Amino acid sequence: MWADRLAVLPVIVIGAWAVLLTVADLYIPEHRRRITAILAALGLIVGLVVNLFIQRHNPQTAYFGLAIADGFSSFLNVLFLLSGLLGIAVAHGYLQRQNIARSEYYSLLLFSISGMMLMGMAADLIIVFIALELLSIPLYVMAGFHRDRLDSEEAALKYFLLGAFAGGFVVYGIALIYGATGSTRIAAILSAVQSGSASPILLTVGAALILVGLGFKVAAVPFHMWTPDVYQGAPSSVTAFMAVGAKAAGFAALLRVFLLAFPTLSDKLVPLLWALAALTMIVGNIVAIVQSNIKRLLAYSSIAHAGYILMATVTLGQSRLMADAAAAALFYLLAYLLTNFGAWAVVIALEREEGKGLSIQDYAGLGKKYPALAAAMSVFMLSLIGVPPTVGFLGKFYLFRAVLEGGFVGLAVIGVLTSLVSAYYYLRVVVVMYMQEGEPVVNRDALLHWTAALSAIAVLALSLFATPLFQWATQATLYAAQ
Amino acid sequence: MIYPLQVVFILVSAVTLGAALMVVTTRNMVRAALWLVLALFGVAILFVLLEAGFFAVAQVIIYIGAIAILMIFAVMLTRRIAQDPGPQLNSTWPIAAVIALLVFGLIVFLVQVWDRAASLPPPLPQGFAPLQELGVALVSADRYLIPFEIASVLLLAALIGAIVVAWERK
Repeated sequence: MWADRLAVLPVIVIGAWAVLLTVADLYIPEHRRRITAILAALGLIVGLVVNLFIQRHNPQTAYFGLAIADGFSSFLNVLFLLSGLLGIAVAHGYLQRQNIARSEYYSLLLFSISGMMLMGMAADLIIVFIALELLSIPLYVMAGFHRDRLDSEEAALKYFLLGAFAGGFVVYGIALIYGATGSTRIAAILSAVQSGSASPILLTVGAALILVGLGFKVAAVPFHMWTPDVYQGAPSSVTAFMAVGAKAAGFAALLRVFLLAFPTLSDKLVPLLWALAALTMIVGNIVAIVQSNIKRLLAYSSIAHAGYILMATVTLGQSRLMADAAAAALFYLLAYLLTNFGAWAVVIALEREEGKGLSIQDYAGLGKKYPALAAAMSVFMLSLIGVPPTVGFLGKFYLFRAVLEGGFVGLAVIGVLTSLVSAYYYLRVVVVMYMQEGEPVVNRDALLHWTAALSAIAVLALSLFATPLFQWATQATLYAAQ
Repeated sequence: MIYPLQVVFILVSAVTLGAALMVVTTRNMVRAALWLVLALFGVAILFVLLEAGFFAVAQVIIYIGAIAILMIFAVMLTRRIAQDPGPQLNSTWPIAAVIALLVFGLIVFLVQVWDRAASLPPPLPQGFAPLQELGVALVSADRYLIPFEIASVLLLAALIGAIVVAWERK
């Protein structure tokens, strides 16, 4: 009983904190909204401490085997909690500047994070589905936080409708898998699949439907149509959080469910995953070239990065490699988290009212007037391309290595070529910042500048300590892949 | 050989599908909501035919009693004209129709190959109280407590979100 509670304690902390924060907020005067933000951040820090404290090496299932606490989930918890902290750091000043500060923002953020954490802990498809909804519903509302602006409303509605649609796909897939195997428990599905008692057609269709649903969530092509509009319309602080958190949660479920439950279906699923990864990398990177709005550019970049992470799933069925590939995906997500939040912090620093300051041309002259900010942005752009010595390079390196070891040379070649394409549009931002004259306007928001600076330092420094970090990720996934 | 139950099933299914079709084709929003009530009631009867009495009651109370009625309220409160004057089909409807038919064919095929569809489930043991079992399972830590709790948190988050979306600005 107590062991159960201990296993899911980080989620309990964040969920309970979200509820208490909502109540406590009633007693905080409106002009002291800073306190709510600080309390929310404190909750995330408590969650981090609890998570590190109870980190275990042996996987432990809890509550009737529905949830599992293992290295995989505790690594992901760190990722989600960090993205929450950075999400608060970039949001606080931004919301006030945009005149949309409401303290419910922080409660919704915490609710969403508790859903993401459950997603990483799911040992049962029912939990996958409810956690998906718990992480998504607050995000729909947050995307529409800018109620005065039509594009924010459009973003919320689009995200909601397509998210609901995606949720429907996932449930349908779960139903078919339940029909085939008689269980929604991942371990039970695996044993039913291995014993051959389950109908492979039903299973494959079910798995494909779950893939479609999660593909929507992680913005994989051809399920990416909502991404540019939602990323552009939603308040930038929400987009920054959504791009990392929702993506990482989607991949958490994808990796856990597919690598654990369906390794024997690899002959049918691997071509699907291969095509999905290749398409996502190609479309994301090529369409990004023509974007002139930095939010849309980062949206397509986020689609492209989903493609890179999807590469990890093609090792499905090669049991020796799966742990390594999953570790590479986790490492990549961590690299993406730092780089992405840094880049968004710079974007938010330049964004003004009425959506001004978002075109790439607005970055002209940044190198001269604000050399530190421009240098940080350059670091993030290089990391997004995957140039050494940034953490983004190592993320790509580990992923490509896993894919090559799996024998998917073609996919790795597509990955390298699309990375080259991506250099064009990422470097264009750098060129505009340094080579063109302009009068950029930058918000004075210390928290934002610190976020950008610390992220840039982390992106560079973690590339030096990548090996222990990758080992941590490998240890995390070894148990998950067993 | 056609059993009487099959006749009832086919009739109820036809009414449900017809009502569902009316929901999306009628131009009057209030009428659409009322057709939806009929469609949901048809589903409730299907549950009765499956001897799932609790689900039938839940279907009537929750879907018809709460959700459909709320929809009618929402339509009446937010729309001055409860009519949809726009076109009902867009240019891609043939593609959508083809895909829908393909998916339907796939489902029919899946049910054909699914061995469990042909076999009857074992009857419940004597003295088994499904409702009681369900209630206990939802709140026992060694059963489905965790999804139950997450669903509660989910509802709370949705509630807060709905207030954020709908609350009047000062």
